Amino acid sequence: MKSMKLTPQKRVFFGGLIALLFATLSFATPDIDGRWRLDIELSTALDGWHSADLVIAQSGTKISIDHHMKWRTTLFDATNVYDTAAPVVMSDFFRIEQRHMAVYPAKNGHTHATATWIDQGRTLRLEIDTTVEVSQGDVEMRIYQEYRVSELGDTLTLIELHSSRNRPLVYVFKKVTEEAK
Amino acid sequence: MKSHSLIPTLIGLAALLGAAAIPASADDHDKVSGKSAWMMNFDLDWEKASGLPEKAMLISLQGLTNRAAPQLYIVHPPDFQWEITGPLYEFYQRKHHVDFTEILTADAALAQFAQHAKGYVVWDLEVGPSLNVAFTIAGLDDAVVVSEALIPLVEKHGLKQIDDLRGRYNGQTDAAIYQDAYNRYWHRCIHDAVMLMGGHRGRVMMPGMADWGVQRKMFFHDLSANPEHTEELALLKRIFAELAPGSTIFGWHPYGKDTEEQHTTLLSSYGHKMEGLHNLPNLSFNSQFTFTPGFKFTNNHNVARDAKLVAEEKVYITFIQSDSIGIGVWTKPGRGKLPFGWQVTMNWTKYSPAALEYFHESSTPNDYFIGGLSGPGYMYPNHIPADRFPVLMAEARELMAVLDERVMEIMDNSAADGNVGNTDLTKETVDRYYEAFPDVIGFINGYGPARTRDLRDTRPMLSYDYYIDPKRPRDEVAADLNELIALNSTRPYFLPVHVRESNDVNSLVEITEQLEGPVEIVPLDVFLKLAASNKTYTTRYQDPDDPKHFKGF
Repeated sequence: MKSMKLTPQKRVFFGGLIALLFATLSFATPDIDGRWRLDIELSTALDGWHSADLVIAQSGTKISIDHHMKWRTTLFDATNVYDTAAPVVMSDFFRIEQRHMAVYPAKNGHTHATATWIDQGRTLRLEIDTTVEVSQGDVEMRIYQEYRVSELGDTLTLIELHSSRNRPLVYVFKKVTEEAK
Repeated sequence: MKSHSLIPTLIGLAALLGAAAIPASADDHDKVSGKSAWMMNFDLDWEKASGLPEKAMLISLQGLTNRAAPQLYIVHPPDFQWEITGPLYEFYQRKHHVDFTEILTADAALAQFAQHAKGYVVWDLEVGPSLNVAFTIAGLDDAVVVSEALIPLVEKHGLKQIDDLRGRYNGQTDAAIYQDAYNRYWHRCIHDAVMLMGGHRGRVMMPGMADWGVQRKMFFHDLSANPEHTEELALLKRIFAELAPGSTIFGWHPYGKDTEEQHTTLLSSYGHKMEGLHNLPNLSFNSQFTFTPGFKFTNNHNVARDAKLVAEEKVYITFIQSDSIGIGVWTKPGRGKLPFGWQVTMNWTKYSPAALEYFHESSTPNDYFIGGLSGPGYMYPNHIPADRFPVLMAEARELMAVLDERVMEIMDNSAADGNVGNTDLTKETVDRYYEAFPDVIGFINGYGPARTRDLRDTRPMLSYDYYIDPKRPRDEVAADLNELIALNSTRPYFLPVHVRESNDVNSLVEITEQLEGPVEIVPLDVFLKLAASNKTYTTRYQDPDDPKHFKGF
């Protein structure tokens, strides 16, 4: 068999092909976009909220996660916007929290967040440093989140680790279809 | 929450006394002990279409009958919200030597007690509020309350119709119905108490406390404190304004019409106090008993009042149930295995001393009693008028002295959303508590978690850092507590935990075994003494910028 010689032209061609492949993989699949509804039965018990919907939308490298929370008759909405191109700083970061704990967003606190697509674009990884208020004052909490989209695109699993918590929180969301809305 | 926060009390009124008195002496004990009485067993059917009408009739009969003496007591099943009617029934026999005879049917009850009624009033099953109007009439005109189906039964026992509410209120709003009742009956009712016969509405109603209102001739209603219900709110405000200062609102807010937060905020703003719940039974009976001769309520103190302790580099945890004794954790398995604080509603010394004695008798060395909620009755102190606060808290101090209590528990959910959200006290309110209670060893605040904290001289004020929902898996509760321990890393860390009344102590033991770090579970009085020795918590009050779910009226 003759060996394939890589001419300069061929090197350019294949190099461009590989670059194009990586470029494609650096963008998420569109599966994560849309409305997702918390499946209470499959998730870590959530105190202080009866239901949670996430509405995720991408615009270029930006990803917005709208939280639509409900507790009794109270409806609460909050949005976090991340950017895979660069870390962001938020003054009004929202996290789904266990509201029976005396842990509150710190007044005038700032949250630093880095977003990355991993696992061939199936997982959104967020690394968040936020300030919370506890009885001893303001302290830092490091949060690691992975939003994993299932192969069929119908389930979104949020796995969340806190620097202060050995037990991970796992929230499972189901895609809300047009009929179910 | 709390689908509904439960602040139960056992309330009685000492036979000789009005609203602000201390219980009668042991001499009065002789008037009621060693007597005969009757009892009935109720089931759990409170549906309007089946069990409610007969129960309403019997409860109204009970109120009338017990005016002369405590004669009729009702025992509810163990899984009724009030679990202690059975144990208290046994207590009356054993300690007060009451000799009970069981009555098996409504017919037999009427045969025995119809003499205490002058007639009957018919309520309209199609119009729920008509039951409350009927109860008002029952108290004023000595009538038993009946549905149409029960007319033949009461007439068989010689009772004649006094009033008939069928058709009177067809198609009318609750506001119109109660306005009519106010116009007709308010001036004849007592004006130091009303019966907020709310709670369950519609298919199921539970007027368990109605005997008390009938006995004392209270105005019954379930008006809404929801700002959206403008007409009902206007009438409710009028009633509150026309009550005597420091009056008591017995019963509970109407489910689905307004919230506990709205109603308690409103009555507090008039300087009144709430005593719940709407289904608390037997007050007309319980109120006529006192402590047995020689009994003195003594607390299980773990430290001397002036003791000075020094906190070590530990995590100190203390557990408290603030829903008052009478339901919940007290009767569940495991009590005594952990130090536990129990909020005792202050007015029990006036309204149900026998029940207090029963709880005292069954307490373990690990049970520690504290005063609350907020004062001589359930109220939200951020809204108590400044000129009413000292008078109310003087009443509270008096009651705490009788109960040998050294800790005041405070709760103000006026800005909260159920049992989450803003449950903090303003600095002004905190100042008032410190001035009003110079002799306490400390204060505890909250229901859900809160962040009001202070330390003045040796008296700390701390808020709950955690609320245990009974439905939360125990391993998640342990993980939550461990997270709080990790976040609050300065030692010592003081972690007060509120235990919802439907938990049980055995499951708390399970949780404590999973906690990490230098953890020590201590009784509340020890906890407060330790917290006074090393202030590793911040000073904080309600911040005007903190979000408020209910912004007031």
